[in-house]
This record gives sequence, C-alpha cells and structure tokens, in this order.
Amino acid sequence: MGRALVPTAAAAMLAGAMLWAVSFATLPQADFTFCNETEIKTVDPAIVTGQPEGRIVSSLYEGLTRWDPKDLHPIPGVAERWEISPDQLTYRFYLRNDALWSDGTPVTADDFVWSFRRFLHPGTGAEYAYQLWYVKRGRDFSTSQLAPGDPVEIELLEQPAGALPHAAGRLLHGKLLSIESPAPPAGDDAASAPATYRVEIEGAERRFRKGGGAGTEDCRWVLLDFDAVGIHAEGPRVVRIELEHPTPYFLSLMGFYPLSPLNRRCIETHGYPAWTKPGNLVNNGPYLLEFRRIRDRIRLVKNPHYWNRDEVHFRTVDALAVTSAATAVNLYLTGEADWVPQVPTTIVPELLRQKRPDFNPQPYLGIYYYRVNTTRAPLNDVRVRRALALAINRRAVVDTVTRAGQIPAYSFVPPGIAGYTQAECPHENLDESRRLLAEAGFPDGRGFPPTFEILFNDLESHKAIAELIQDQWKRELGIGVRAQKLEWAAYLARTRQLDYWVSRAAWIGDYPDPNTFLDMFVTDGPNNQTGWSNAEYDRLLALAATQADPAERMATLHAAERILMDELPVLPVYYYVTIHIVRPYLRGFFENVQDVHPLVGMWIDPEARAKYWQEHSIR
Amino acid sequence: MMAFLLRRALWLVLTLWIVFTISFFLMRAVPGGPLDAERQLEPEIRANIEARYHLDEPLARQYLRELANVVRGDLGYSYKMADFSVNEIIGQGFPISASLGIVALSFALVLGLSVGIISAVRRQGWIDVSLRTLATIGIAVPDFVLASVAIILLVFVWPLFPAAGWGEFRHLILPGCCLGAPYAAYIARLTRTGMLDVLNQDYIRTAYAKGLLPRTVIFRHALKGALLPVVSFLGPAIAGILTGSLVVEQIFAIPGLGIHFVQSATQRDYTLAMGLVLLYTALLCLMNLLVDVAYTLLDPRVKLE
Repeated sequence: MGRALVPTAAAAMLAGAMLWAVSFATLPQADFTFCNETEIKTVDPAIVTGQPEGRIVSSLYEGLTRWDPKDLHPIPGVAERWEISPDQLTYRFYLRNDALWSDGTPVTADDFVWSFRRFLHPGTGAEYAYQLWYVKRGRDFSTSQLAPGDPVEIELLEQPAGALPHAAGRLLHGKLLSIESPAPPAGDDAASAPATYRVEIEGAERRFRKGGGAGTEDCRWVLLDFDAVGIHAEGPRVVRIELEHPTPYFLSLMGFYPLSPLNRRCIETHGYPAWTKPGNLVNNGPYLLEFRRIRDRIRLVKNPHYWNRDEVHFRTVDALAVTSAATAVNLYLTGEADWVPQVPTTIVPELLRQKRPDFNPQPYLGIYYYRVNTTRAPLNDVRVRRALALAINRRAVVDTVTRAGQIPAYSFVPPGIAGYTQAECPHENLDESRRLLAEAGFPDGRGFPPTFEILFNDLESHKAIAELIQDQWKRELGIGVRAQKLEWAAYLARTRQLDYWVSRAAWIGDYPDPNTFLDMFVTDGPNNQTGWSNAEYDRLLALAATQADPAERMATLHAAERILMDELPVLPVYYYVTIHIVRPYLRGFFENVQDVHPLVGMWIDPEARAKYWQEHSIR
Repeated sequence: MMAFLLRRALWLVLTLWIVFTISFFLMRAVPGGPLDAERQLEPEIRANIEARYHLDEPLARQYLRELANVVRGDLGYSYKMADFSVNEIIGQGFPISASLGIVALSFALVLGLSVGIISAVRRQGWIDVSLRTLATIGIAVPDFVLASVAIILLVFVWPLFPAAGWGEFRHLILPGCCLGAPYAAYIARLTRTGMLDVLNQDYIRTAYAKGLLPRTVIFRHALKGALLPVVSFLGPAIAGILTGSLVVEQIFAIPGLGIHFVQSATQRDYTLAMGLVLLYTALLCLMNLLVDVAYTLLDPRVKLE
C-alpha cells in the first residue's frame, strides 16, 4: 500500500463521514408539540404506570369512560351510558355503535372482556393489576389463589385449531379437586418447584403441572375460571361488571388509561412487542401512532375512525422525550414546544416574578413527606415521631426551597377531594416538641442515636429540603442528624428493606379519592415501607371499602387519617402544585388537581396566537 | 499481517466475554433491580413480572441464558423501553451519536491541528501564549458550562441556532462544537508538543539545509512525525465520542446513545446496559487496532508483529 495515499484516504474518509453525518430527511412540524419528560416504557396500556406513558396511552386508546378535561369527572367514552345497581355492586356499560378500532371494525363487549382478562392475567405482568381487584374474584384470578371446589381453567401448550400465531393455548375448564404441593427438595430450587393440580374435567380426573412429568399433563397456567370473575359480555354491546364491594371511584377507574381496551386480533397476529409497532398497532383512541424515534419523539396523527373525531383538532402531535427540564423550557421559549409539564424548580421564582400568563401553579393531588422507620428504636416511640413532626418548619421549606407556592402539609391527604375533610397533625410547636423528646428520654437531644439520618435520592431539591430539616432538628432539638444521599436504585432498595431512619418520599394520587393515599399504610401494604401497623386503621380501611353511603365512607376514611396523623409513621411536608408552562392561546387545557390534560378538545386559537407572538417575538 | 489481525480478533472475543461476565455479576451485585420504582408492587404482581423476565431463576441459570443469547447476537429487550430490543435501540442511537461525533471530531481535528502547528511554529510568541491559554481553558471548562454559555449567547442573545433537538443540519452545529471543543484543545496541545520534538531533529535541519520552503518542511516532513501522539490519543477518543456524550446529548436533547449509558445504569436496565458496555468494548478494541495499523503507515520504524 502506498504510504503517500494515506493522508488522501484519511481526508476522503473524513469528508465522506461528514457528508453522511449532515444528511437529514426533513420532518414537517406538528400542529402541537409538547415535552413528555422521558421516553415511555411501552404503548401497552396494561404495563405502564407513569405520567409520560399516561399522556401517550390515553391519546391512543379510550376506555369505557373518559375524564372531563375540566374537573376529570367520568364522562361517556366507548360506553355511551351506564346503569349502576342500587347496591352499587353491578355496573352495566352500554357501548356506542360508532366506537371503532383503527382498522374500521367495531369495538365490542368481548373486546373489553378479553382486555380485562389479559390485564388481570399473571402472565401479563401488569403493575396496576390491583385496580381491577375491586372486581368480583379479580384478585383470585390475578394471583392464582385457588381453593378445592373452585372452577378452574387450564391453559395448555398447544393452540386451538385455527388460532392466530400468537394466541394463547387451548383452555380446558373443570373443577379443582386439590392442589398437591411438592415435597420441598433440598437446595436453592425449592421455591420454583411447581404444584400439581388435580382437576375434574367432564367427570374424569386429570392431573396438571407446569412442566409436566410424574404422571401429570403439561400446561402453562392453572387459574381461576375467568367465567367466575365478575366481567361478562351481555351480547356485543353490553359489558357487565360485578364488584366485591361498592367502589365510589369505579367509573373514574374505567377511564384510567391502564384499563383501555386492546385489539385481540392485532396482538394475536403479531405478538409482543411487534404489535406495538406503528403500522401493526390497532387502537381505538383519538390518535394513531405514526412513528417513534427512541428518546427523540413520538409522532401522533389523528385517527379518522375515532367516534369523537370532531373534537380532535390537531392533525399531528409531537411528544418530545426531553429528559432535561431546562432544555424543555429552552424549547418552549424558542417556540418549538407548546407545553412543558414540569419546569426546573430553580427557575420557578423567576417565572413567578415575571407574572407570566403561561405559568400559573395550581394545587395538585400529591404530597411530599418523610417516612419514619417505626421498627427502629427510638422511632418506635410515638412521642419521638411527634417531636420530630412538631419541629419541622414547613413554611421555611416551601418559602426557601420549593418556592412555587406549595402549601405546607399537616395532613396526609392533600386538599381538593370533594366531600372529604382532612385530619391534621399538630402544627409547629417547639416547646411541645422538646417536652415530648425529653419525656421519651432524650432531654435536649442527649442520648439520641448518633447514626440517625435522613435518607434521600440524589436530586438537588431533595438535598436542599433534607439539609434544611436536618438543620431544624439539630438546632431546635439538639439531636445529631446526618443527611444521606443515595443513588436512585440504592435509595429504593434501602427504603424497601426498612434499612433507614427517616426517608424522603412522595405520592401522587391515582384517582381523586382519599383511599389512594390512605390504603398505602395498611399492615404490610407494599407501599407502607414504615413497618407501621395499626389494627384499628386496617379495620377502618376495610370498613370504608364496603360502605355504600359516600358521607359515611368519607367519615370512616377521616377517622383512619386521624389515627395516621396521631401516630405519625409519616411526616407530611408539603402538598404539590403543578409547575407546567403552557401557551396561553391553547384552548381546552384546564387546570385540575391531577394535572391530567387530554388532547381531545384542545385547540389553538389562531388570533390569540398571532397576537401573542407579536408581543413576544420569538427572538 | 493476517496472523496479527487473527490474534487480535481472538483477544477481542476473550475481552468481550470477560467484560460480559464481570458486568453481569456486578450489575446484579449492586442494590436495586429493574423492577424498582417509587411505587412498590404488590408481592404477587412483582412475582408475576419477575417470572416474565426470568428474574426468579438462580443467577447461574440467568447467566448462561443471557450468554447464549448474546453469542447468538440477541441482546434481548430493554426493561425500561420494553417495545424495543437492545439491538433496535443501539441501531437508532448509534448513527445519531456517530453523526454528532464525526462533526465534533472534524471540528476538533481542524481546529486542534491548526492551532497546534501555529503554536509550535510561533513558539513563545504572543500567539503561542494566547492559543495555549485558550487550549488550557478549553480542557478545564466542563462541557455543561460551555454548552450553557453557548446556548445563552447563540440561541437567546444572538439567535443563530435552535435551542435543542435533532433532525436538521442546524441542530448539529452547537452540540458538535461543544462536544469537540475539549478534544480540539487536547489535540492542539499534543500537536504542539509533537511538532516541537520533531522540529529539533536532524532530518528537519537537513530539510531546511536542502533549501526547502518552511511550508514544505512543516507539512511534508515535520507534521507526519508530530501526528503520532495525536493518533494514539484519537483511538480511544473516537470510541468515546462515537458512543455519545451524556451531557451534550442531554442539554441539546439529542437522541443518541450517551443518555442510554447513564439511564440504563441508574435504572438497572440490565439488558440495555450490557449491550452498551459490549458495544463500547468492541469499539475501543477496534479503534486501538486501527491506531496500531496507522502507526505502521505513519512511521516506517514501527512493524506489526
């Protein structure tokens, strides 16, 4: 090889690479662009949980009900009307005739039954599956809880004749006779040894086990017969749902995005995840998936088959996966995005000072609080917990750290839930706090464990709050406090394993009802994570779940919160406010306590826009 | 030459296997897992999801399963972007990071080499001193500061470029320059040092003595020798720059690989993190190989063995 050619070859390669690097296909701008915080996990409604996912999924699908954009009360979605039995246990949803899938076929009651079955099925792995555990025997199906005598369905490995490529296996129906747990073998594999199910099918006894062997038939699942679960189709246009207990927010749940219907043919034809790809995906909501560019954007395009298409005003919508809130604001300020759901907290005071028409923080159904590990002495002493709560200056937190008009919190349930009165914990009182601490055996903080610390995950605002409260406790109570910063996953693990003293936490309500906040703290609830347990509290929560009268139920929940606020396994710090910035000429966008903003009904007022940009020239 | 390449290929496979093994167990040794989130799962639901991802199996079986998949070229599906396979994510992100990297590298090379040569030729003059000061600043200033200043000046004060995004040529310039600037500074310093070394050597004096023009001496004779340290720096630098930069990609909302590196680690996205680690390892080995080959072409004294 001639050495003289090397520089020329290298230069040519660099030039070629440059040419490739700067060649782009152009992309027309969408009618409406918003920053969606991050790349979404999936477009499968059953699996997702976060707000960014919710914005996309609720644009692609529509459930039996949907939420009014003003105050989020349930309004007709795929169901045009519904009937509720007097005991509030049976719901009949009547589907509209013009509800269609994006391939033009009608959305039927069977679609909902199939989708809800899939949602509850253990093989789906739905994180929100408990939202359908209100349905009769939904939990038993979802968790394979079986008792002898139960009707069961056995999914075999082979598919029924004529099934689509990715359909489930053939189902056998029978009656469970007994479950034989295998003798626990020595070694680590003990937990994974499958049980054997003795089942009576058409008068004959058969034995099934995952993996087969030892005189059993192989199968995929043995579950409660779905027919025993309270979800049925009455003809093609009526869905009947029976509940375990009266559930006042059930209509709202039916509009919650995880409970969207899915197209069986699409999923069984392509399988996961191919069915989620643009072109394959069949959905029933206001928008279709045009394309996805990972960590760049999701382009949505209007669905011509959507029944309420007259209310869909944007032909195309871009959801940008911008992880940096500062970058999102830059895009907003230069006119490339119309809505940023969360601005960086550091610029909030400046935005407020400017008195902008597009930035207007409003109460939001979320609470920032500190968990207390009640299994660790001396935090197991309620006087100590109360002393800690009494010495937090919440006003200082919201005035010097969060600074967007957040409200100091003295109850666990945030304000804004109709019909509910919060139960409060005592407000700041340093004398009382010192007295309680002395009474518990730590006068002026003497003798308090030196390893006491506040645990938080690595984020600037958590750090500032932790240091502020650390300082307040140190100064006012004389106790030594460390502020321990951990990386996200490590922080979650330590909290879950109760390996902490005090840990920062936050909770956003899933639906506007106190239950979404209070049911966390029942004994051994997965989100309890404080080790706290109170029999009376558990009893009240269970009682509230069966009460049909709304006023009585709210009173029960209030009594439960009273216990929570007396016992203080959690120390409320502040209630959230929304911190979005949005074009003032965007119509159909309403402030609400869940900060949920459906795209249906949104439109841009061209006159107001022209006027706005005249006043705020982009550059 | 063939034997050399073959041996290096074998080493690459071995390196990849070792990196895979260490990463696999290291990832699972740190606290937390891909199913962790602020909202805790009901135990039964958690068990359902763990079974779906085979996370309930003994570690040894998981290791063998994943190793077999990787050998087949299947990196699996991401936990946190479940609609995409790791191959798809890399397939979309790598060209973007690479485009940006190429722009940044070209910028760095052109600027760095020119500054280095000028500095060396005018050594100890005021040009040299000011250029060297600039280069030191270029290395010392963190990229997020540089990017923020660039955005304030060139997006808001003097609106020449878009604030962020990807899809057009104008989106490339600011991030390309911000990413390339520290490399440019580094290349400038390496070039200057290399040039100074070479300029004192006998063969350069001979070239001058023969009556060649200074330009010819510098570009034909001196530069080639002076480039050697730059070339060895470029190998790992290219591997790093092609696989993306977290800070620049995040600030300019560029959908490259840089952000995946960090997110997959903090979110315990085992499959994606593994894919990226393997990609980076392979690129690094490949670039080092290219550097070795380039050496033999630039310097007749070096032989591959």
